Amino acid sequence: MTPLGLDDESLAACVQCGLCLPHCPTYRVTGDERRSPRGRISLMRAVEWEGMTPDREWLDAMDTCVQCLGCVTACPSGVPYGDLIATTRVAVAQLRRPPLKLRAGLWCLGRPGLLRWVTTALAILQRLGLLRLAPRTMAAALPARLPLRRPRLSAAGCPPRSEVAPAAGDPPEVVLFTGCVMDAWQPEVHGAAEEVLTAIGVTVERSGDRAGCCGALHGHAGLESEARRHAERVISVLTGDRPVLVDSAGCGAALKDYGTLLQTPEARAFADRVYDIQEWLAADGRLVTLPSAGPENGPRESVIVQDPCHLRHAQGCHGAVRNVLAPYVDLVELDDEGLCCGAGGAFSLVQPGLAGDARDRKVAAVARATSRSGATTVVSANPGCALHLAAAGLHVRHPMEVLADACRRSETDSGPEGEGNEVSEHGR
Amino acid sequence: MVISPLTRSLLGRLAVRRVDPITDPLERDLVEVLGRGRVEAGIGAQSLYSHDGSVTRGGRAGIVCFPESTAEVAACVSVSVSHGRPFVPRGAGTGLSGGAVPCDEPVMVVTTRMDVIHEVDVERRLAWVGPGVVNLDLSRHLEGTGLHFAPDPSSQQACTIGGNVATNSGGPHCLLYGVTSAHVLAVEVVLPDGEVVILGAEEGRAAGYDLRGAFVGGEGTLGIATRICVRLTEDPPEVATLLLDFDRVAGAADTVSAVIAAGIVPAALEIMDQRVIEAVEPFAHAGYPLDAAAVLIVELDGLPAGVATAIDRIEVIGTAHGARTVRVAADEDERTRIWKGRKSAFGAIAVIKPDYYLNDTVIPRTRLTEVLSRVYEVIEERDLIVMNVFHAGDGNLHPLIVFDAREPGVMERVLEAGEEIVRISVEAGGVLSGEHGIGLEKKRFMSMQFSPADLEAQDRLRRAFDVEGLANPAKVLPSGASCGHVTSLGRAPDGTWV
Repeated sequence: MTPLGLDDESLAACVQCGLCLPHCPTYRVTGDERRSPRGRISLMRAVEWEGMTPDREWLDAMDTCVQCLGCVTACPSGVPYGDLIATTRVAVAQLRRPPLKLRAGLWCLGRPGLLRWVTTALAILQRLGLLRLAPRTMAAALPARLPLRRPRLSAAGCPPRSEVAPAAGDPPEVVLFTGCVMDAWQPEVHGAAEEVLTAIGVTVERSGDRAGCCGALHGHAGLESEARRHAERVISVLTGDRPVLVDSAGCGAALKDYGTLLQTPEARAFADRVYDIQEWLAADGRLVTLPSAGPENGPRESVIVQDPCHLRHAQGCHGAVRNVLAPYVDLVELDDEGLCCGAGGAFSLVQPGLAGDARDRKVAAVARATSRSGATTVVSANPGCALHLAAAGLHVRHPMEVLADACRRSETDSGPEGEGNEVSEHGR
Repeated sequence: MVISPLTRSLLGRLAVRRVDPITDPLERDLVEVLGRGRVEAGIGAQSLYSHDGSVTRGGRAGIVCFPESTAEVAACVSVSVSHGRPFVPRGAGTGLSGGAVPCDEPVMVVTTRMDVIHEVDVERRLAWVGPGVVNLDLSRHLEGTGLHFAPDPSSQQACTIGGNVATNSGGPHCLLYGVTSAHVLAVEVVLPDGEVVILGAEEGRAAGYDLRGAFVGGEGTLGIATRICVRLTEDPPEVATLLLDFDRVAGAADTVSAVIAAGIVPAALEIMDQRVIEAVEPFAHAGYPLDAAAVLIVELDGLPAGVATAIDRIEVIGTAHGARTVRVAADEDERTRIWKGRKSAFGAIAVIKPDYYLNDTVIPRTRLTEVLSRVYEVIEERDLIVMNVFHAGDGNLHPLIVFDAREPGVMERVLEAGEEIVRISVEAGGVLSGEHGIGLEKKRFMSMQFSPADLEAQDRLRRAFDVEGLANPAKVLPSGASCGHVTSLGRAPDGTWV
């Protein structure tokens, strides 16, 4: 086996033309080949083919990849860069352990009870203003206002923190994957997703604590065996053949990749029933039963669409966000061809400088969109991007929150006979 | 909250890594100018900055610098020269002739961080930009003003305007609008002795000799462009993109000659042969017919009535020369996809083989058919694969030889074929390079086209700018210092491909 264990043909597929360069967030902000896909592939080759020993500079080149996959979309030769960097990260993690703060964070993600306890503790510190003592990078990675405790949000009678257990009567139609940190920090997004699904007559069950974390961030960090362990647990808990809907682009990409990660027929079958929630709603068609926000409901809101990389480049279903939102709000596009905002899961925590510089570009693109359209709200279907952008002062919402507003509007507009009456029972 | 910043600064002090002292005096002086973070001397940087977008190889890069201003570029140049070291300017590294490939461990002056659009004057239709501004970014930035930057090399999404100036780049639309030189009004240049001058003028032309004209296309041997004043072109009121497909490459080539002979000058006339179509269609989804021997992309722009008439005439000419279908792009999306395919061609070849050698020669348009068939013969004789994708309207050929460098002996055959293609082009009355420049790749062919007296005159011009011979040495002119590293391999004398 070669030092990094890379597939030779994949490594040879890059012709070094450089067309990927402008699509790489870290190259864009540094202008440095070592921070580019072309450069990283060249450095992988140096180790694999020329016997170079990885030094600090080499490790730094690999560590600074956001794994946004923007280069994969841009590559005319179809170089599987995502596989190359993922395999390299696994080798790197064996060569040198990931930083302690990252390992500690990842360890927490696998323990939902602890994560909530930590969240409450952080929320109290935040209210007391004591978080300002924390390193700036850590404080910036947190939501502006952490929830003190999880609000009682539920659909179809499921208690909060529900495990996957069939309720009485017909089993719910879909499973909503709630994950780890999003469940603790942004419970309102899952609430909004449930509200929308319920409003169109879909019964929902939360994946809950037993399914827990998807392991995406462990995979990004090269901790392959931990990523596998999470995948195996998720699959074993979420049995059956119901669709698994995901409202986090990063988790969705990871769940869809379980077949490749585990290489078992069971994992492949599971991956086949994973859908990004927007993707599922766009294909399902029931969403059109919501009355759209026409002129009679006042002027339509304009929102700026930010494509999370794991939706656009990894899952390729960013069009669905537009499909589901278009009937209710006016969409404003960014002019940066989906260049990564620098959030990248834990990237903003481990590489705060680069993540901040990449975000500055995104913020500038948003400012241009605002000056063109007047829109100030950004919609993003990924919790990581949302937190990262909100920390720069942007007003960010999840597409499901925008749709939930439409549900509430339809509830007040159409009265008790409308689709919204189910929502009112469970509304906040 | 007095503690907070104090704690942070204390923690920050503890966290500072012990820095190793710099032993190399050149590196120490460069660090003094730019600071540690923008001077790189690691093995990784030196290896990555040893090549561009081509397979041309020279030597190894020395210290890599990332200046951010004219003053910093001037300081990098002065420091290099005071140490007697050569320097090589480099943009995005998408060049295809080794112009930015280092020989003899020069200081690499990388301009990618100088990516500021300093000023746009819509009324006077000009803009001052940094050399690191990406070509397409400028036109994107101009959206809504009704103006754009006309030179559009195929790598325009990645290449920098500084690089465009250095190679005097072309692009599909240069058929109508002219190459980069026609769009550069003035350049601020750091001369090889560190002095900063402005060549050319915003309005009209500067008095005296046209030194701006001499500088554009200088491939970094005459100095480094640090700010560029570009001419902005008005967006045409109407654009139509046509796709014609043919059973024979000759049909497409003859159509090109006939279109120009009929007095029509389209904005672009591009041919792609069957292998290119097969490689790019899965990526671009442009709807190129996969069974065609060649497609011809014709872009027409101007006033709506003129464009409509030209479409009809091209349809007639194309059909007369064997076009099977003539498709006019229905909307902007279809246009974009047709161009996306054309502009991704050289990057898409890994679908067929992992390495490419993209040649660039120009021939008289009237001899397209004949020279193309000679190119196919040369390739067949050497058992190689060629993909032809080129600016047919300009007679600018781009035979793309694809191969797997890991195959023993293939390199020699590729080299031989490349040389033969250059020879055929020059013999047909053409020139060595249309737009990629001479760089390292073509300098050994310069004597095919120029007499010793011609070369001597060019060398004197170069020395007028670069007395010490330290600005991107061993490039362009065969009389320059040779790339020692390569010569010792006993292969091609200067510039080789691995």
